[in-house]
Amino acid sequence: MFGLLLAIWKKFKEYIILLLLLIISLIILSANQKPAAKKASSSFYGFFANFSSIISDALDITKYKSENSSLRKTNAEMMLEINKLRQYGIENSELKDLLGIKDTLHYPILSANVISKSLSRSQGTFTLNVGKKDSVRPGMPVINEFGLVGIVYSTSANYSIVRTLENLDVSITVKDERSRVDGIMKWNGSNLVIINVPKTYDVEPGDRIITSDLSSIVAMPVPVGVVIGLNNIETGIFNEVKIKPFVNFVTTENVFVIKVVESKEEDNLELNFYNRK
Amino acid sequence: MRSEYLWSIILFFPLLLIQTTILPIIAINGIVPDLVIILLVFYSMRLGQIYGTILGFLYGFLFDMITGSLLGSTMISLTIAGFIAGYFSNENKRDYYFNNYFFVLIVIMCSIINSVLNSFFSSADLNTNLIHFLINQGIFPALYTSVISLLVVVFYPKRNFES
Repeated sequence: MFGLLLAIWKKFKEYIILLLLLIISLIILSANQKPAAKKASSSFYGFFANFSSIISDALDITKYKSENSSLRKTNAEMMLEINKLRQYGIENSELKDLLGIKDTLHYPILSANVISKSLSRSQGTFTLNVGKKDSVRPGMPVINEFGLVGIVYSTSANYSIVRTLENLDVSITVKDERSRVDGIMKWNGSNLVIINVPKTYDVEPGDRIITSDLSSIVAMPVPVGVVIGLNNIETGIFNEVKIKPFVNFVTTENVFVIKVVESKEEDNLELNFYNRK
Repeated sequence: MRSEYLWSIILFFPLLLIQTTILPIIAINGIVPDLVIILLVFYSMRLGQIYGTILGFLYGFLFDMITGSLLGSTMISLTIAGFIAGYFSNENKRDYYFNNYFFVLIVIMCSIINSVLNSFFSSADLNTNLIHFLINQGIFPALYTSVISLLVVVFYPKRNFES
């Protein structure tokens, strides 16, 4: 018996090892959401991010000079814009006082740098130089000056991993800014798409897409992208709407984490997908 | 020879560091070359199929842990890629392979397998057109990776490594 096993091992050892390793990988794949796996992963990337941070800082220094002059120009333009908005703000708060509407538009944001990127076609992730110590928590939205970048997936003490919109595991409720049509947006491996949009819905190329109030993760209106086409699916009653994101994920360097103060009641809702096990 | 086993693991970390910090600068349409697969193919061809398979598994585990990808997805794809690259491990032809574009072809093949399997196991949308999926997820990244792998062919010592 032992001889037979030995003969099989000798003849097929490459395949046996391959099979064993694949089985282990599949077991690990199924244990992905377990807290122990998440904890181990956060200590690994937390450690590695220290080195990424050094390289990222060195690369940034070379860019600062050229960026500074363009930022000065942007600052001047923004200053003029702010002045105008300040006037609107005063008018707005006066009108809200008159109508008795509560101001809910203030969100605390935290500035962060992208220190490393995994630009995989299916699982885009960024590592940010802010973590638990800065009170960053999984599920917080990450934006830049153009729009939504992604969602914080995991945090270590000083770093956090963000799943960008170009990640198959990110689905967000979005809305057509013009027609107010809601839908679920996800990355299909090559495009951002809003799935299962009834053909009768009013969505047209050129429409701006923002995050929807119905979203349990990004419940404030953040720009996401613009409709560039409809994948007309011949059979069935649904269309797929193709979106071009405002954010260029390849060049993104500085981002902001929106430290949303989530409602505990809303957090515990069954439909909040971030809490779903 | 023993030091080669050690180097195959040590080299993974600086290469991953370069891949996640410097290579995004040269990304074309969001596609970056995969340095890890080049390293894996190189050592699988040098050190044999069994070692290539185990190395793929280890690289995949470290990659998933460090980048925050779906744990296990890269492990599966790199284990299979290492196994396939190991098929071309032949002590007699080793130097010929590394000094020849044969190495680039194996990198292309393993890179396509790695990308497609990785996308598949990270719950890719199967409604997407299969050919479109194969081109986007497999062939484009593989071609870009193969361009970088030319460096191995160019800089590989033109003498017998074992002597």
